[in-house]
Amino acid sequence: MSAKVELRGVTKNFGAVEAVSNVTLEIAAGEFLTLLGPSGCGKTTLLRLIAGFDQPTAGSVWVGGVEVTHLPPYRRPVNQVFQSYALFPHLTVAENVAFGLRMQRVPAAESAGRVRETLDLVSLTGLDARRPHQLSGGQKQRVALARAIVCRPQVLLLDEPLSALDAKLRLAMQLELKRLQRQLGITFVFVTHDQEEALTMSDRIAIVNRGRIEQLDTAQAIYHRPATPFAADFVGEANLLHAEWLSTDAAGIRVRVVGGLELLLPAAAWPTGAKAALVSVRPEKVHVSRQPVAAANAFEARVVEEVFRGATDHLCLATAAGTRLSAIVANESALGEIFHAGDKVFCGLHADDLVVLRAE
Amino acid sequence: MRQAAARRAPHAASWRAWLLLMPMVAWLVLFVVVPTTILFVYSFCERDELGRVVFSFTWENYTRVFDPIYLRIFARSIGYAALTTIICIVAGFPVAFGIGRARAAWRDRLLLLVMVPFWTSFLIRTYAWITILKEEGLLNAVLRALPFGPGPVDFLYTPTAVVIGLVYAYLPFMILPIYGSVEKIDGALLEAAHDLGAGPWRVFTAVIFPLTRPGLAAGTLLVFVPSIAMFAITDLMGGARVPLIGNVIQNQFLQARDWPFGAALGVVFLALFATTYWALLRFRDRGEARG
Amino acid sequence: MKSSHLLVLLLALGVGAGARAAELNLFGWSEYVPQTVIDGFTKETGIKVNFETFSSNEELIAKLVAGGGRYDLVQPSDYAAEVMIRQKLLAPLDRAKLPNLKNLDSAFTNRPHDPAGGFTVPYLSGSVGIVINTEKVTVPIRGYRDVFQPRFKDRLVVLNDSREIVTWALYTLGLPINTLTPESLARARPIVADWVKLVKVFDSDSPKTALLNGDVDLGVVWSGEAAILWNQNKKFHFVIPAEGAHQFIDVLAIPAGAKNPAAAHQFINYLLRPEVSQLISTAFPYTNPNAAARALLSPEALANPASYPKTGKLETFRDIGKMAAAIDRLVTDLKSAR
Repeated sequence: MSAKVELRGVTKNFGAVEAVSNVTLEIAAGEFLTLLGPSGCGKTTLLRLIAGFDQPTAGSVWVGGVEVTHLPPYRRPVNQVFQSYALFPHLTVAENVAFGLRMQRVPAAESAGRVRETLDLVSLTGLDARRPHQLSGGQKQRVALARAIVCRPQVLLLDEPLSALDAKLRLAMQLELKRLQRQLGITFVFVTHDQEEALTMSDRIAIVNRGRIEQLDTAQAIYHRPATPFAADFVGEANLLHAEWLSTDAAGIRVRVVGGLELLLPAAAWPTGAKAALVSVRPEKVHVSRQPVAAANAFEARVVEEVFRGATDHLCLATAAGTRLSAIVANESALGEIFHAGDKVFCGLHADDLVVLRAE
Repeated sequence: MRQAAARRAPHAASWRAWLLLMPMVAWLVLFVVVPTTILFVYSFCERDELGRVVFSFTWENYTRVFDPIYLRIFARSIGYAALTTIICIVAGFPVAFGIGRARAAWRDRLLLLVMVPFWTSFLIRTYAWITILKEEGLLNAVLRALPFGPGPVDFLYTPTAVVIGLVYAYLPFMILPIYGSVEKIDGALLEAAHDLGAGPWRVFTAVIFPLTRPGLAAGTLLVFVPSIAMFAITDLMGGARVPLIGNVIQNQFLQARDWPFGAALGVVFLALFATTYWALLRFRDRGEARG
Repeated sequence: MKSSHLLVLLLALGVGAGARAAELNLFGWSEYVPQTVIDGFTKETGIKVNFETFSSNEELIAKLVAGGGRYDLVQPSDYAAEVMIRQKLLAPLDRAKLPNLKNLDSAFTNRPHDPAGGFTVPYLSGSVGIVINTEKVTVPIRGYRDVFQPRFKDRLVVLNDSREIVTWALYTLGLPINTLTPESLARARPIVADWVKLVKVFDSDSPKTALLNGDVDLGVVWSGEAAILWNQNKKFHFVIPAEGAHQFIDVLAIPAGAKNPAAAHQFINYLLRPEVSQLISTAFPYTNPNAAARALLSPEALANPASYPKTGKLETFRDIGKMAAAIDRLVTDLKSAR
């Protein structure tokens, strides 16, 4: 059974510092939502406000349609998986997992059954009698997870639970968490600074920056249509080009980008009345070829730098006028078009691939 | 060639290691093993007119130890010590916990406050208590000044005064080890416990208390055992009315001039200490070796 | 070794040897030898006095048994001296070196502990008697029976000394205090049992403190303490108990094997001088056995009833050997029965 989570106009101050500024957020029941942002942006604070470890300076917190703003953590139908796992060192794995059930005074027999079931669910069968100091990082993480979900919370909060794991394990755990969430149907609120993680697992992502939510949308939407320069830059890579308005006609809007390159944008894309804005284009959307490219914006450039990355090639391009762009090209065949520094290439940009953002 | 060197190296290391350990071992032998052995040997001896030890084997001293008089005194001493320990735990735990969870800047200052009294002589601090508790002392002055109230109370030279003196003398020995344990508790554990449904009381019983077992065990050992043998406070603050085992042992070596009997009492006391230590070790480890 | 090193070594040895010659190791009661007296001696003779203290005769005996050659002059009480003489722990005195012996009052010489006076010289004397705060206690107190009444429950201070307490009980029974038998102890037992319940403070170190603090109203204490109380406030009266009282004579003696017997004799002779003895009396108003010194005391000092009691049946302690343990056991038992 999962619940909707709402934050209404929530602000949190720590002394003079405003960690969270007037945030309103609605998380749907059964959704996997990720709070994504750099260190210190306030995402962990938001999580703690939902969990109940901190009280908002202003605003209210609602879980399942019930206001929980002033309820202590032990009275909220919410459980958390901590970044440091916070396993009780003096208890065994089974006792750790059973802790929440013990607090709810669930009878021993039922508790034992549920613990066993949950340990199976997270693939920790047979480790009941171990102590936390005898477990590996991945195992500890799963015990922390099991301990939280055995309580059947309506909302599960996860505070950067994978940050201490190595890359391969982390990837495996990301998929497993996603699968688990679908299976259990609980609302997951996940906090991370790793955008790839966010993209892999989430139904929706909230981009958090300096105590505010800059964009709340699906991964695809954020990726293809970032709402702010920060969102564009934080999720994936982006070329952010400062552009000045030149003219408007039937074909669209002409702008000049720093370095002199002129681009054509769809009429609707430009913010009305703005003299200048930022144009964002993803590097993989810069088409690079040895032959002229057919696109709304086609131009020539020289390869300044080339970095071979296995599946892709990362190129740093410069136009004759001096506009610089990064491009990512897929290496389709071993013998295919390998670019080298100094090569002259043809580039193309489709109008749909250009996102216009207000400059900050 | 290299193998030979490798085989030689461990022997060379252990020879040097022993050399470094020698001072410590010598100190232990000289000041712990030898005196204890002497005590043990004396306890089986007889005494002459002057109270000197005569080397003729006898069980008499030990049979005298189990005389109801002295057993009663042992029991009473243990009772006082147990009461002192319990009060120290009840009073000291909150203090240790408060300091342990306080902000870093405050923590050092509070610790200092706990330790500063130690920089004064123990005797001076005890006399300070006498000034407070005596008939015309500070406490009674306050009580006399109250318009309604019990009026001046007999504090000094009562068992209450002895317990106050004992608790005051040993409280820091309880606070500091518990603080050590508390400080190590990760704050996230407490939040996790809350998150899993534990209210403040249950967080204490289910998480904090088990994790402070080592500190509690150490504190109890540091308070319980020495306070059994404490005789200065009974004399100064208790008016020497009720002899505790420390007083009795002191008497044997002075007024009664019966060293072998004093030695026997001392050996029994050592056995008591060893038993307490063993029991506390089990208490401490019970928290870790469960299941 | 280099010649300069050798020179330094020799000098050090020389100085060390010289220092050892001009030294006196005194082992006495705490608060019993005034510093002015010691300093006066050093100034006059150039002999450095190393003063160590003890607080019980048993401590003194124990230290001497352990190796008394460390000390040159000790200050035992009468019965302790008796034991030490018997055990050959003391060296005989050379009376030729002690011309000032003539100053002593004959009442204090040739006592049972040292009939021939060959080993000891009296230093100060005193008694154990009753001190009363007459502002609080208005009934007449004549002896131990008057002191240990139920009306004075928790208002009493007595010495923390098992032998003293048993002695007082024996006095009330009219039994000899220096011949202890299991029977006399058995008869004393119920008396001591009752008495112990009435006492508020047992203190041999400074019983006057409790009296001055007002925590107790009367008690059985050293006469010197009572004398100091009298000097502070005339409300503190001193009475020698009618049934009999313990008189103690603290003496000076030289341990066998002392390293500086000459200096020790010099010091004894110095202490026997009237003007020096008078200083001791002024600081510690016990009974002074030095008749010449007494002549120099002020009339008030001589009028102090605790220092110089007019009447009283006084006896010194004799050594009781192993019965000391039996007494300790008795009193411990009774104290812990509360």
